[in-house]
Amino acid sequence: MNLILEKQTLPALLRFWQEDHDVYLPQKLGQFSHFMPLQEQTDPLLGEPHNTRIPPKSLFLPMTETLVKYTKYGTYKEVDPEVESRIIFAIRPCDAQAVKLLDTVFEQERYTDPLWVERRNNTITIGLGCHEPCHNGFCTTVGYGPFNKTGLDALLTDLGDSYMVETLTEAGEKCFQHLTPASAQTEALVAEIQLNAYNSMEIAFPTVNLKEKLEQNFNSDYWKEISESCLSCGVCTFLCPTCFCFDIVDETQRYERVRNWDTCMFRVYSLEASGHNPRPTRVERTRQRISHKFVYWIDQVNQIGCTGCGRCVRYCPVGLDIRAMLRQVQQLPLEVSHAV
Amino acid sequence: MQSETHNPYQPIPMRVLRAYYESNDHSLKTLELSFENATDSQAFFEAFNPGQFCLLSVAGKGESALGVASAAWEGDFVRFTAQLMGTVTKALHELKPGDAIGMRGPLGNGFPLKDWKGKNLVIIGGGCAFSTLYALTKHVHHPDHRDDYGKLTLVYGTRTSGLCMYKHDIASWHESEDMEIHQAIDVPEENWLHHVGYVPDVVKEVAPSPENAVAVVCGPPIMTKFTLPALVELGFSPEHIYTSLEKRMKCGIGKCGRCNLGPKYICKDGPVFSLAELNELPADL
Repeated sequence: MNLILEKQTLPALLRFWQEDHDVYLPQKLGQFSHFMPLQEQTDPLLGEPHNTRIPPKSLFLPMTETLVKYTKYGTYKEVDPEVESRIIFAIRPCDAQAVKLLDTVFEQERYTDPLWVERRNNTITIGLGCHEPCHNGFCTTVGYGPFNKTGLDALLTDLGDSYMVETLTEAGEKCFQHLTPASAQTEALVAEIQLNAYNSMEIAFPTVNLKEKLEQNFNSDYWKEISESCLSCGVCTFLCPTCFCFDIVDETQRYERVRNWDTCMFRVYSLEASGHNPRPTRVERTRQRISHKFVYWIDQVNQIGCTGCGRCVRYCPVGLDIRAMLRQVQQLPLEVSHAV
Repeated sequence: MQSETHNPYQPIPMRVLRAYYESNDHSLKTLELSFENATDSQAFFEAFNPGQFCLLSVAGKGESALGVASAAWEGDFVRFTAQLMGTVTKALHELKPGDAIGMRGPLGNGFPLKDWKGKNLVIIGGGCAFSTLYALTKHVHHPDHRDDYGKLTLVYGTRTSGLCMYKHDIASWHESEDMEIHQAIDVPEENWLHHVGYVPDVVKEVAPSPENAVAVVCGPPIMTKFTLPALVELGFSPEHIYTSLEKRMKCGIGKCGRCNLGPKYICKDGPVFSLAELNELPADL
């Protein structure tokens, strides 16, 4: 159903939701932007033409979280995630898509992550489409888009003084049940805005044969070239909405076993007790990061594991640009023998 | 099977039943753990398959992935052999009978025993990686299972005779008539009656027949690297050569990303892979 939400009524609607839900929306946090709970003084970041610096994956996979508690006698206690019903407001389509991709990791037949599932089941996700696509984003290149609806309960299109709300699920419908329907004229306008946004985005790199070329050039000097200036700082993976690697450590003062975001860009990530390291240098680690997103995700779920959010481009301290890296792949030969 | 609400990160409570050094230099220690809860024991043995591993958990120190070194028929306990390497294995080495310990598992796929029925088995191990092969041999050699398989050939190499694990069983297997065993050490020692040399060379020398046979190799990376081609040379097809991979692991259930190898997670999709499967994966080992 398509409805009209006047911007001036939004604060009241957010407060109304707050009666039954924790409401999260993008806000400024020092120099950062981040999804945080709605409070008295909240000034949401809704006019920014790009997504938050810290991806909202953190609402489902927190940067740090307790998995298990233990006692000094060596016994273990389960933690109760205790997630209140939540509404995430104004998540961008790239980030909602990323959470959907991560479902395939955390919800599997054999092993399901109870903490992830608990948060997913208790969250309503309302998206805000990107009528002015961001500069570094390349969602259309990787098969998604600025008004992609995957993983959303409702999608908003900015019309200046109002939003048009497309409700996509029953839960999304419930959130907006007292609004007036959009006119056919508005619907047509929204369709045009969405199409223009889509068309205004350039194709950042060709994806035809990209997977095959990356696979076949596993031992190419290409990896050395593109990783030469990498600092192994890990910011590309830390801020990536589809990166999910975590470390598990015991916090001995709290008697808790916690998981923390981790990154394959760190040397110690894959360092084994024997001293052997399967990915000892930036070359192998860069190859792992790119291959995971553009080869292995496709093998696993037939989708590119990058949603084109542009964060790794925007925040790399040495200006490494995954778009340029992947454009360079086109220069690589196809059909060299597979290295084993 | 575990219910959906079960937290797969939570270890089940175990207790150290027996703890003893496995090697004369005290670098290898075996722990036999008993279950605190009968339901955990039942769930474990319903799922267990030789070749699987568990994460042993010492509260405050962390977890360590270790292959199961016991067969189900041995009794209501699980055996592991830990090499002294870092924080967790040091804590494991300090455990005494009666101490509490956590365990998650069994994890991973284990050996595809169903596919191996009716075949001759060539089991090749090196160093402390022999532990899961020990479990496999104990399973296969048991009278209840022995008839399911053909000829059994075992090649086991260690750097020195003192590092040979499970000496009691190894000695009895030398006496056993329905098993061919070739033991090797790297450098000569006095009174050593068996092979001297590296495992790949011993395999070439012994030259097990590839006829209706599968070979399974577990050892340090350098041994595996040279043994796999030796088996191919002997005529084993890549579909009939198996190995168990090892990588750094944290979660053990395909979530934390650490043991990712191409589209696979070694913890969840492995650790046992055929050479044919390995040939399809990136060489990120």
